[in-house]
Amino acid sequence: MVSRRQLFHGAAVGAAVAATSVSRVALAALPEPVLQTKPDTLPPLYPSTGRPYQPVVTLNGWTLPWRMNQGVKEFHLVAEPVKRELAPGMVANLWGYNGQSPGPTFEVVEGDRVRIFVTNRLPEPHAVHWHGQRLPNGMDGVAGLTQPAIPVGKTYVYEFTARRPGTFMYHPHADEMVQMAMGLYGLWITHPKQPHPLISEVQRDFCFLLNAFDIEPGSATPKVMTMLDFNLWGWNSRVFPGIDSLNVRLGDRVRIRVGNLTMTNHPIHLHGHEFTVTGTDGGPVPMGARWPEVTTDVGVGQMRQIEFIADEPGDWAFHCHKSHHTMNAMGHNVPTLLGAQQEDVARRIQQHIPGYMLMGDKGMHDMTEMEMPLPDNTLPMMTGEGPFGGVGMGGMFSVLKVRKNQPHGDYRDPGWYEAPAGTRAYEWTGTAPATPRAATAPASATLQVRKPAGHSGH
Amino acid sequence: MMNLPAWLRGASRRRACAPRLVHRPSWAALAVALSLSGCASWSERGVTEPLHAQLSPHLADAATTLTLQRDEDAVRTATAQADALLQAPLDAEGAVRVALLLHRGLQVRLHALGVSEAERVQAVGWPNPRLSVSRLARGSERETEWSLGLELGHWLLRPWISDLEDRRLAAERQQVALAVLEHLTQVRQSYYQAVAAEHTLRTLTRWHDAADTGATLARRLEQAGNFSPVQRAREQVLAAEGQRQRIRARLAAQASRERLARDLGLGDRPEALRLPEQLPELPKQLPERPELERQALAERLDVAAARQQLERRARELGAGRLRGFVNGLELSAIRSTSNEAPTQTGWEVSFELPLFDWGGARAARAEVLYGQNMHLAAQIAQEARSQVREAEATWRGAWQIARQYQDELLPLAREVSRQNLLRYNGMLIGPLDLLADARNQMTTVTESIQAQRDFWLAQTVLDQALRGPVSPMSLNAANTSRSADAGANH
Repeated sequence: MVSRRQLFHGAAVGAAVAATSVSRVALAALPEPVLQTKPDTLPPLYPSTGRPYQPVVTLNGWTLPWRMNQGVKEFHLVAEPVKRELAPGMVANLWGYNGQSPGPTFEVVEGDRVRIFVTNRLPEPHAVHWHGQRLPNGMDGVAGLTQPAIPVGKTYVYEFTARRPGTFMYHPHADEMVQMAMGLYGLWITHPKQPHPLISEVQRDFCFLLNAFDIEPGSATPKVMTMLDFNLWGWNSRVFPGIDSLNVRLGDRVRIRVGNLTMTNHPIHLHGHEFTVTGTDGGPVPMGARWPEVTTDVGVGQMRQIEFIADEPGDWAFHCHKSHHTMNAMGHNVPTLLGAQQEDVARRIQQHIPGYMLMGDKGMHDMTEMEMPLPDNTLPMMTGEGPFGGVGMGGMFSVLKVRKNQPHGDYRDPGWYEAPAGTRAYEWTGTAPATPRAATAPASATLQVRKPAGHSGH
Repeated sequence: MMNLPAWLRGASRRRACAPRLVHRPSWAALAVALSLSGCASWSERGVTEPLHAQLSPHLADAATTLTLQRDEDAVRTATAQADALLQAPLDAEGAVRVALLLHRGLQVRLHALGVSEAERVQAVGWPNPRLSVSRLARGSERETEWSLGLELGHWLLRPWISDLEDRRLAAERQQVALAVLEHLTQVRQSYYQAVAAEHTLRTLTRWHDAADTGATLARRLEQAGNFSPVQRAREQVLAAEGQRQRIRARLAAQASRERLARDLGLGDRPEALRLPEQLPELPKQLPERPELERQALAERLDVAAARQQLERRARELGAGRLRGFVNGLELSAIRSTSNEAPTQTGWEVSFELPLFDWGGARAARAEVLYGQNMHLAAQIAQEARSQVREAEATWRGAWQIARQYQDELLPLAREVSRQNLLRYNGMLIGPLDLLADARNQMTTVTESIQAQRDFWLAQTVLDQALRGPVSPMSLNAANTSRSADAGANH
């Protein structure tokens, strides 16, 4: 964690350092921007000034420190080109805020007066829209409509009161297709100032944004003209295996806030637990409108806030249920090779292309077992190692780790779950049981199933 | 009379044993010519050595490989020498030597030169004296007349005749030398064509196999239910295209090999021909050659021939009138015996009386001929300079194109292939894309072979432009299978 202008250790300390290190002269000027250079999940930022609250943990992200200025929380957001590691082995050229994409999470308390300095270090005009907030129209951040766009090199100030508790987003509203394709966005949490009947107190509160990039394998900059055919599906500009696990203590009440700034919907699915959608970016969901689910669809531009009691120990997969969203870049025009006899063809291909290896004729699992040289700065389509071998995933995939001995307030990765004896699937080594079979073979042996060839519109 | 340009006035090469006549024969020279009558006999060396001297500036020591093969033994010796050269894959210079040893057409030319040499020897040799015997009867008188006649005119004109014969032969020798050099240029061109065609054939055979592999894979995918008939058919079309290209390449390779065999004189046993797998390496740099035009004017045989022709015409301007008088001059010694009278002896001279033809028309003809030859020489010189400039430009352009293939396009094609294999590893593209890319790479290789071949062809044209007239070479864009994959998605 290295600020460009100062070092600080721990985000909570960082806020203090940021506040105390500015000179008296500078106090009258802009707050020193706090920058982040690593894609790690930082510990929660416990507030040292202002109203107290239970902070959130931003997955592979951080909360932006502020300074109090005569009762106003002042933040400094710097929009600029950044380098973001999407997962080990791949760095993307993105646009972000304060050193990373997505930008830092804002955490304020209902009723807080906030003043946000937005400095535009992008090569083009910018404006920040505070998605979902109640605020004066002139603070809504729509370039041309509610304000002039922030010119290159200039700083604009947004000021409003955080009126409504809940989970929000911020993102550009100037050339937003390009700027969002490049990774400019962030989260905004407004905590309730007092206990709220529809907002539970939780022990763990995670948040992340869903985002998508189209980065040509071998390159590093997203294609900004892509509409639907993205090839990298991320949470907070990270893809599996680069997304940190969500580590909780057995019995914790857990809240996960998921915002969708991609161009398609994402059915977010949690293993081993049922959860309830307790809120959207429109506010808390009335009790009578809640029902248990294991998957919730997060539509485009929507926010879903799910809650559950983590009462099943283990390593529980947590992912988007669109299976191609749990993969990294792959060729959309690669033919299905499954089931076609081709060993001899492969030998002939090798005559022309030394180094060619037969793949895909028996499925893609081989991909998770073999390490093959890939284009520079490219992640394997299916990757990740678990305790029992290749996980064979990518994209929007992570793990909820529920541990009995995870200390309160400790978000560190406890390692792999060790299932108690007799509670893990095992290989049958006895005599194979008789398999019930249909009396006759199906009449038609020619019908074959395959996926539709069209690949647009994920 | 126009002034002659400097290059036209240069002295021509003379045979070593020709009479050392300067431009106007003198009596002293005549005496020398008489004393050198030993020259005037036919020999094999007399035919080949001057030709070798003419060829060696262009062929170096290979020139002496061309000998007059007058019998089967000589042919066998030459064949054995050629066979030794044919043991290893042939290079271009080896091909030249083999052609000089084996090509029967060159022998035909050489023998024709031998015939000319024999005619020259005859022309400049002493004419046999004529002995005439007559016996006349008048009544009882019997008269026998012995007459020994000598063509005095020929005798007197021998220095001129010798000089003109030398020049006629030199011109013919130049023609033969030019024909030999043109043939050897053809040999080199056929050689480069044949090596390139066989390399192209191997490359396009691989192209076809890559396309056929794709078609096989497509059929398997169709059998497995993964491919539609239209997807399979598209790959099959590529395979068929590959086959057609391969057949064409095979025909081209066969034709160019036959052509080379013919040009080498191996038309009866083309199987003896062994070619290297690839064309010679391209030079890293081309030298600056500012002297090329001067060199062409100094060394080109057509230019030299024009110049010598002009000199010959100049000489005829002076010689014509005298020859008119002297040509029919005949001196005879006569001895007449009779049984009724004392023996008579005497001599007889006969010559033409220049009463009506004082040679004026002849002189005019010679002058006009001279003028004609002067224009012809100037025209040939202009052509030569332009041809050598064009040939040099083509040579440099062909080198640049061929180097671009070697230094830029082939490495790029290899890089694309390397990257595509990485993309395949990541299942970003499929095996059919890889095969399409391999075919593209082979197409680039084929184009590169053609570019390399064009450079060596341009080199032969430039070399030939320094020897004699050439027709220009055009660097046509390679027309290969680039279009075949244009529609494929990769």
